[in-house]
Amino acid sequence: MHFLQGVMIALHSIRANKLRSFLTLLGVAIGVLTVVAVVAVIDGMNRYVAELFSSMGSSTFIVDKFGVITSQDEFFKALKRKDLTVDDLRALRKSCDLCDLIGGGTPPLDLPVKYRNDYISNCIVKGITSNYVEITDLDLDYGRSFSPEDDERNRALAVVGPDVAENLFPGLDPIGRDIKIGGYYFRIIGVGERRGSFIGINQDNWAVIPLSAYGKYFGAKETITIFARAKRPNLLQQAQDQVRLVLRARRHLKYNDPDDFSIMTSESYLSLYRNLTSMAFLVMIIISSVALVVAGIVIMNIMLVAVTERTREIGIRKAVGAKRRDILWQFLVESATITLCGGLIGIILGQLIAHSVSSLTSLPATMKLWSVVLAILVTSSAGVIFGIYPALKAARLDPIEALRYE
Amino acid sequence: MLIKTVDLWKTYTVGTETIHAVQGVSVEIEKGEYVAIMGPSGSGKSTLMNLIGCLDSPTRGEYHLNGRRVSAMSDDELAYIRNKEIGFVFQTFNLLPRASALHNVELPLIYNGTSSGERIRKAKEALKTVDLEDRMTHRPNELSGGQRQRVALARALVNNPALILADEPTGNLDTATGAEIMELFGRLHREGNTIIIVTHERDIAIYADRIFYLRDGKVEKEEDVRHIKNSGN
Repeated sequence: MHFLQGVMIALHSIRANKLRSFLTLLGVAIGVLTVVAVVAVIDGMNRYVAELFSSMGSSTFIVDKFGVITSQDEFFKALKRKDLTVDDLRALRKSCDLCDLIGGGTPPLDLPVKYRNDYISNCIVKGITSNYVEITDLDLDYGRSFSPEDDERNRALAVVGPDVAENLFPGLDPIGRDIKIGGYYFRIIGVGERRGSFIGINQDNWAVIPLSAYGKYFGAKETITIFARAKRPNLLQQAQDQVRLVLRARRHLKYNDPDDFSIMTSESYLSLYRNLTSMAFLVMIIISSVALVVAGIVIMNIMLVAVTERTREIGIRKAVGAKRRDILWQFLVESATITLCGGLIGIILGQLIAHSVSSLTSLPATMKLWSVVLAILVTSSAGVIFGIYPALKAARLDPIEALRYE
Repeated sequence: MLIKTVDLWKTYTVGTETIHAVQGVSVEIEKGEYVAIMGPSGSGKSTLMNLIGCLDSPTRGEYHLNGRRVSAMSDDELAYIRNKEIGFVFQTFNLLPRASALHNVELPLIYNGTSSGERIRKAKEALKTVDLEDRMTHRPNELSGGQRQRVALARALVNNPALILADEPTGNLDTATGAEIMELFGRLHREGNTIIIVTHERDIAIYADRIFYLRDGKVEKEEDVRHIKNSGN
């Protein structure tokens, strides 16, 4: 029997048993959809994070008191380290000739933000140097950012996020108005661009003030994070070494003492992220694949029903000359066709889900070609594997018994 | 010689009991003959028909069909013989319920690699032989019993087999329709086809030229009934 004939017979019987075929199709589609959607979301997450770090620039590195903490012990040890201070920042600016940009910022501070009687809750306040904006992707919607002069003169200025501007000054121009941060007045000079939220975290509710002003009004209580950019990407390693040397000297570390600060690049953040998440993602994919196995069992069950129900048909076909392999082929093609159709539907639905995820959140969830290919391969082979037993059962039927079957 | 069986035996084991359904049957049937196999239920006529129809292999003995020794063939070889040499007509018609008459008639051709155009041409021709060319697109449940049996006959004919084997072909039909079908068998015989009919009714058996009476798995007697038919006319 010809290959196409097998497909024709299979398609014919799929059409003839619409409801059953639909239910099987649905089972497979849901299985595939789960896997495809999970892979798409995971991939979107990975790409989002990669983009986040790459916006930092490949020649930029971050000096931080804590670095990456993975245990409580490490945290308490790191807590005893010396803070990074504005003096450290100044020293680095003076002696690191391999960097063309050195700036810094405080960690998020818990300071109340008020305008007259209105106040903003959960607002993230940071003190930053004027060049901070060049290193991070702080884009302004309107107004201006801090100038080096603002920084030097400890000017009480602020750049605020769009949520702050809208909540405190609905319908009004916030530029030039004085808001109270931590009890002191700061004049708004710029408003940041809207960034939306990422995994439920609002990214538009913030205010930044010059690092020097922060020191002046609130005292340099907090350790700062220092950003530095190597003059050229190929100088990244040397620039890091230079910064390390300066800081070690300032902290009077002996030659065999470990660094009591950490230096991270976007690459090292990214590889850390990958280490932390790859296993979790693998487990997510494996768990979602369980749906595929369930779909396979559904196929097997349905095909067994089909064989029993069509015993007579098998008898007729055998009586007029169908060989074992003709019958085997017919049922295999049928289960493979159903699963493949289900797989395609699942891929389309998975794509729709991925699209709606990326349009509802800032996750760039996208369909990966490999996940589509994998889904098709897995489902069609599931169709064949789970279809083999029913098909063999059909092929081995005795024609006399089958013809007598009621 | 189209059919030659030599001491054919078929033995079943049901539980602990051994049943000898066919016990040493030796028959010879020439090409172009019209033969009936008659016997009460339990006489082994169905088993004999399955053996002659290559649906089953004998426990012992030899069976030659159209010059081939089919008694020692494998399942797939038997399938090939069924496709090439035998056209079946069953009491319960055994048509594919969801397929059109045309597709049902096409079925044997699907399993010997006939091209689709040729299949449709031959199937239409076979349906024309049984006067059903205007019912090609109908499904079995849209046809009367007699029409269904004629579709089954067309399917049996389509591959131009050496032998048409009918098992109680009128068993599910009323007398008038049964007679029509038997007329059709008669016509096909006159056109040169070899026909074997298995039945328990003498009224049906006498349409044939020769009757084998089967009892307890053995051929009890053989009767030439051509004179009855001729006198009936």
